[in-house]
Amino acid sequence: MTEPLLSLREVAKTFGETVALAPTTLTIDEGSFVAIVGPSGCGKSTLFNVIAGLLTPDGGDVLLRDRPVTGSTGHVGYMLQKDLLVPWRTVEDNITMAKRLTGRVTAEDRAEARRMARAYGLGEFLRHYPSALSGGMRQRVAFMRTLMTHQSLLLLDEPFGALDAQTRLEMQQWLLQVWRDAQRTVLFITHDVDESIFLADRVVVMSPRPGRVVADFTSPLARPRTLDMLTEGHFIELKGRVMHLLHGGAT
Amino acid sequence: MSAPGRRRAGLVARNVGVPILSLVLVLVLWQLIVVGFHVASYVAPRPREAILSVTQNWSLLWPLVLGTIRETVYGFVVGAALGFFLGVIMAKVPFLQGLVYPVLVLSQAIPIIALAAPLVLILGFSTAPKIVIVAWIVFFPVTVNVIDGLSHVDRDLLNLAKVYGASRWRTFWQIEIPATSTPLFSGLKIGATYAVTGAIIGELAASDGSSLALYQEHANSNLNTAAVYGTTMVMTAIGISWFLLVVGVEVFATPWRRRTVARRWPWRRDRDDVAQ
Ligand SMILES: Nc1ncnc2c1ncn2[C@@H]1O[C@H](COP(=O)(O)OP(=O)(O)O)[C@@H](O)[C@H]1O
Ligand SMILES: [Mg+2]
Repeated sequence: MTEPLLSLREVAKTFGETVALAPTTLTIDEGSFVAIVGPSGCGKSTLFNVIAGLLTPDGGDVLLRDRPVTGSTGHVGYMLQKDLLVPWRTVEDNITMAKRLTGRVTAEDRAEARRMARAYGLGEFLRHYPSALSGGMRQRVAFMRTLMTHQSLLLLDEPFGALDAQTRLEMQQWLLQVWRDAQRTVLFITHDVDESIFLADRVVVMSPRPGRVVADFTSPLARPRTLDMLTEGHFIELKGRVMHLLHGGAT
Repeated sequence: MSAPGRRRAGLVARNVGVPILSLVLVLVLWQLIVVGFHVASYVAPRPREAILSVTQNWSLLWPLVLGTIRETVYGFVVGAALGFFLGVIMAKVPFLQGLVYPVLVLSQAIPIIALAAPLVLILGFSTAPKIVIVAWIVFFPVTVNVIDGLSHVDRDLLNLAKVYGASRWRTFWQIEIPATSTPLFSGLKIGATYAVTGAIIGELAASDGSSLALYQEHANSNLNTAAVYGTTMVMTAIGISWFLLVVGVEVFATPWRRRTVARRWPWRRDRDDVAQ
């Protein structure tokens, strides 16, 4: 499980005068869960948009399994804080949205969507429209839609940022469960340090603008993760170091 | 009756009962004014007389009503299709939008009556000029609303489709068009309300003999006040029916606005659901 899935080589992006992303190099192993933390406006979303192909970097390469994909789309799953469910489709049809947009939704796709929804707590809501769901449930649907892209690499940009603390904690455990079963590689942006350490194998810390990687920690926590790990000594220690980098010693 | 059944019955009562009640109120008010103020029967008939003038001459009126309906429907369909097409083209090609928009606004500034004469010269006394007039009125609100709707589709949603690798064609039909349904139907409903007015103006200006508008003019010159009012009521009824039909299509086509759970279609049963 140590094949590099994604390699960024010196990718940079400038908007006019604003250097959104300083030249950044990063390697992500297949099957890993990597969190990216950094202050607001440091270029995290810009980095994702470059990886996803929505933005062409000013320089550098994006390689997926050693294949250059710089500036092209169609090779990642992608999820934002906004769930972006379409209100005119049922939960089931939202989950199969990627296939509807790129190919043909087959009976197998539908069956897979239903199986997944039932396994992860949404079986009752397959025929509901998204407007009937709570924020947490909507994000679950959005994540299943992301899984149904069948891409190895999933980019999650602050997916739980809009949820209340209680729901967020539930969603984190839910995500770990689904991720363990689905065997995908996850890049996860958050500004919540607890969340990054609790979820990830690696915590990548970015500096304020112009954004660049300033530290790359390996999480000391074993898997599966449990809630009492949040108060473990290893956890507190790593949290202190990340906070120090983000807030200049104000821990 | 189950709780949702009762709620549904309440909804129907409100959506059907209240408009009928307001219609009855208008008739009552009409009756009260005519009787209360001793309005002469050559100025305004009583509701009963107006209604009788319609029912008693129904065999004469029916073909004329059919003619007006035909002009309204054909004109509406042509106008709506043209309006949709123009809206899409203009939303997608900003250069064309800049070029064409002023012309469209200009087209609506022309008094419709003034349009009728040249249309008759071009198309002759036939159904064609009436259809053109109706379409002329209907396309504009549709175009304006489609442009507005298409330019307000969530950019993040469009980006998501792009990240998935969706083609522009798929994105258009699967995302942009459904996302535009609310303004699109607003445009269609505005168009539907004015469509009959267009048809009647067309009949007045370009009729070769028999039409609902000329029937009313004829009644007017014969001082048949009841028939004048009766014909107006028939025209109004055509307009309202067409509007309601468009509303019905909207309700049918956009179930997610009122429902929490999707309808189950007998022809789209998923075997998996039954097994579960
Ligand atoms: N399309 C854009 N045009 C101009 N500036 C942008 C654009 N996207 C992002 N920026 C700027 O780039 C910087 C980084 O933005 P972003 O990547 O969204 O930060 P983060 O996600 O870390 O909060 C910000 O200063 C932002 O204002
Ligand atoms: Mg961001």
